[in-house]
Amino acid sequence: MRAMIIDDSRAMRSILRHIVTGLDFETAEAVHGQDALDQLRSGPVPDICLVDWNMPVMDGYTFITEVRANPAWRDITLMMVTTEGEQRNIVRALAAGAHEYVIKPFTPDAIVEKLELLGLLNHDAAPDGVLA
Amino acid sequence: MTTPTAFASVSALVRRETSMVYDEGKEYLVEARLAPLAAAKGMDLETYVSRLAFDPDERRKVIDALTINETSWFRDHTPYQAFTDAILPDLLERRSTTRRLRIWSAACSSGQEAYSIAMLLDQHLPAGWEYEIVATDIATTMLERVKSGRYSQVEVNRGLPATSLVRYFNRVGREWEIAERLRQRITVRHLNLAAPYVALGTFDMIWLRNVLIYFDAPTKQDILRRMLPMLSLDGYLLLGSSETTLDLPDDLAAAWRREPIGRVQAHRRANAPVAQPTPSHLTLTGA
Amino acid sequence: MNMLTFFDPASADLEAPDLEDVRSVTEDVWMALLGEDEALAPRAVPAGAPFDAAGAWSAAVTVTGGWQGVITIELDETVARTVTARMLDIPTVDEVHDGDAADAVGELVNMVGGSIKSLMPGPSTLSLPSVAAGRAAFASDVQEVCRVDVAWRGGPVRVCVHVPQGGPR
Repeated sequence: MRAMIIDDSRAMRSILRHIVTGLDFETAEAVHGQDALDQLRSGPVPDICLVDWNMPVMDGYTFITEVRANPAWRDITLMMVTTEGEQRNIVRALAAGAHEYVIKPFTPDAIVEKLELLGLLNHDAAPDGVLA
Repeated sequence: MTTPTAFASVSALVRRETSMVYDEGKEYLVEARLAPLAAAKGMDLETYVSRLAFDPDERRKVIDALTINETSWFRDHTPYQAFTDAILPDLLERRSTTRRLRIWSAACSSGQEAYSIAMLLDQHLPAGWEYEIVATDIATTMLERVKSGRYSQVEVNRGLPATSLVRYFNRVGREWEIAERLRQRITVRHLNLAAPYVALGTFDMIWLRNVLIYFDAPTKQDILRRMLPMLSLDGYLLLGSSETTLDLPDDLAAAWRREPIGRVQAHRRANAPVAQPTPSHLTLTGA
Repeated sequence: MNMLTFFDPASADLEAPDLEDVRSVTEDVWMALLGEDEALAPRAVPAGAPFDAAGAWSAAVTVTGGWQGVITIELDETVARTVTARMLDIPTVDEVHDGDAADAVGELVNMVGGSIKSLMPGPSTLSLPSVAAGRAAFASDVQEVCRVDVAWRGGPVRVCVHVPQGGPR
């Protein structure tokens, strides 16, 4: 699995990178939406983008609408990871094509559970609830 | 730092009142959960623990603090998948005359499991069906939380699909409040799983996940034995993914039958009819 | 130094966030970044006292729209560098460069400010953070409506909310 982390904060990219590399993701990083679009056009297409909302040059909401406007990218899962926590913004992002939404601040578990929800984690563990 | 004596006395208290086992090595957990209680009383942890014997209110708080499960929405995911894919369709068929489901969320903690089930039922129950979810816990503070249906930002980040967040919650200041129509379906009851189950009725499904691990072996067996009459003959019991190594006496092992459903092992009463997930079972008779 | 920019005082419905909300938001950010055990201790500071760390970092975000305000965080130098080291996974505090601290402190105020914005009437827009090595400076056309003073490992941390002059009494 490949994840692209799109956030203007190096510290936030570092935190997210640690979480997803721990889940065996390969990562790419972009510092704003335009940078991410450029990388999508030139490089390998990731399975998921983790997208901040407020960034210089191109914000995460615009990035999502741009990705969704290109049918070649329809398999990319988009997850907002942002401090924008108003209900209307969550609705807007989902309507624009985001699959999931994590509100900052978050704990690492929150990211893991969302990736699980999105079917992006492998399950090789024992089946649930066996009485031996 | 907790001293061994302080830890032992807290551990004995919890065991006496709840039959839950806090082994050595859980000192960090005891310390993390009791430190705020001691601080609220202006005492260091050791002094606080030494006074517990004389203070029933504080004992209650300690029990509450130590019996809270960390929970997230749709925890482990697979049981909920099994519920919507197989268990619920089977129950819909079997209850088509009464059109009513009763579900028990045993050791409900702060209610994420009960409300996760409620969200799925809200989406998947056909019109005209009724349901009740009975949520029980030993911690009274948790029951208050379940009733209020309010969760922090950090809590709603945990495993809850964003579509469900916007569909079933309203932001109220720093918290998110679950929709009234779901809260109405939850009945909250104070219950120690190690004590008798009185006036609960029977259930079509029991969720008993990630709680048996806290009990000693005889109590675990006792709970599983007393769960039998709580479950309707064709009902389903779900345990947690870590509760896999229970050593059961023969009579109990014979009373429960394991039934794989997707990635989950559900437990059925031994004489329960087999689930009928596909119409093809009709061709299997009489061969 | 952070110089706060100008508001149009006539345009917004002026309101102050609840003090307890600001405190909780700050704690949530702290614990999510540093762990459950890293609680912030309350700190009694007289009203009007300037941020009293010997060395400091500060950062601010501005909210405009349905609510207008400026959220500022000030951190003791050692606190700022320790938090930065944790966020950027830098092995020792000595290796934290100013650019690292500026980035991490900016993300801190982004999270605190964004959370506060979500509690206030909207819709509003959150600015990108501006960060400075040193204490925050406040423009004369704003007034403080909320201040949380806490300490982490003994080092002071302050979160302030300012609104345009003529705001709530």
